[in-house]
Amino acid sequence: MYKKTKRYDLGYYNFIGTWAWIIHRLSGLALIFYVSLHLWVINTLTQGPEKFNNIMNFLSSPLFKYLEIGLWGIILFHAFNGVRIIIIDFFKGSFYQKKIFFILITIAFLMWATGSYILISHIN
Amino acid sequence: MAKQKIKLKILRYTPEKQKKPYWSTYQLEVDQDSTVLDVLNEIHWNIDGSLSYRRSCRSAICGSCALKVNGQNILACETPIHKFKGKKLKIEPLPGFPIIKDLVVDMDNFFEKLRQIKPFLILKKPLPDKEFTQSPEQFSEIRESILCILCGACTSSCPSLWSNKDYLGPASLLKAYRFIFDSRDDGAMERIDMINDRNGIWRCHTIFNCMEACPKNINITEYISKLKVKIVENSI
Repeated sequence: MYKKTKRYDLGYYNFIGTWAWIIHRLSGLALIFYVSLHLWVINTLTQGPEKFNNIMNFLSSPLFKYLEIGLWGIILFHAFNGVRIIIIDFFKGSFYQKKIFFILITIAFLMWATGSYILISHIN
Repeated sequence: MAKQKIKLKILRYTPEKQKKPYWSTYQLEVDQDSTVLDVLNEIHWNIDGSLSYRRSCRSAICGSCALKVNGQNILACETPIHKFKGKKLKIEPLPGFPIIKDLVVDMDNFFEKLRQIKPFLILKKPLPDKEFTQSPEQFSEIRESILCILCGACTSSCPSLWSNKDYLGPASLLKAYRFIFDSRDDGAMERIDMINDRNGIWRCHTIFNCMEACPKNINITEYISKLKVKIVENSI
């Protein structure tokens, strides 16, 4: 018998599929965080109009508008990569998964750019 | 034949002697079109006899010599060094498996998982008098999946397996596909029950590392997706 040691398997080459998975995971976690924050904000409605108005005032500062641009990007990536995974699982997408990734991400990017432009023009 | 100078970094480890794996560097001159296995042989035979690695057929049939080179799992005997542009090679044992010595890894776990999905025909109907026939259409369904040489490159490249060593892994799932979709086999339900598990097929997150690593270019993810669809259809 030989002695077993713990191995840390880092440094594997990241292909497109790997990047898609890593970003999908991270954006999913970010969305869970956002949804809980959102529920918490909505929950202040039960504590009277004053508290809700206070928090809405706080959230309408420019900082949160910029964060919304990030949120829009995260939602778009997660949604479009989700569509890619559905295509892979049900419509033989694994044969051209890289092409699907680039096509969907281009669409997502264009939507992100347009949405961000609209958001920025409403900041002031 | 044109010669080429290359630099090699090889991960060395003897668990009985060292606490941690360490890197050995070698500089040598080899033929331009030699394979990774040729380079390892050159080191083992002429430079450093203490280097351990697995090899057998040197024609991509036996599946012994799977290694991680420059961050990708490959079969050493069929991969020419010019595939890795540049003159540096970083050779490591397969990730995800414990190291026995240098580039030799313990694959017991891999073969144990393969045994779990019963890699043989399960027959419930009586045997035919003569040979078992399959139509070309029935055969084309499993044609690609029987090419697997069990080198372990796919299973060890899977990030799901690195974090959870109980996950069946792409090679076992491909084998499950090969028998579940075989027209002669009667044990499909048995195998589906086995892979429809939290450590079974649902740990596949379509990362495509297995497909990139496979030396036989089998589209493993496609077959895992087909299995997923079949399991969902069966449960409705």
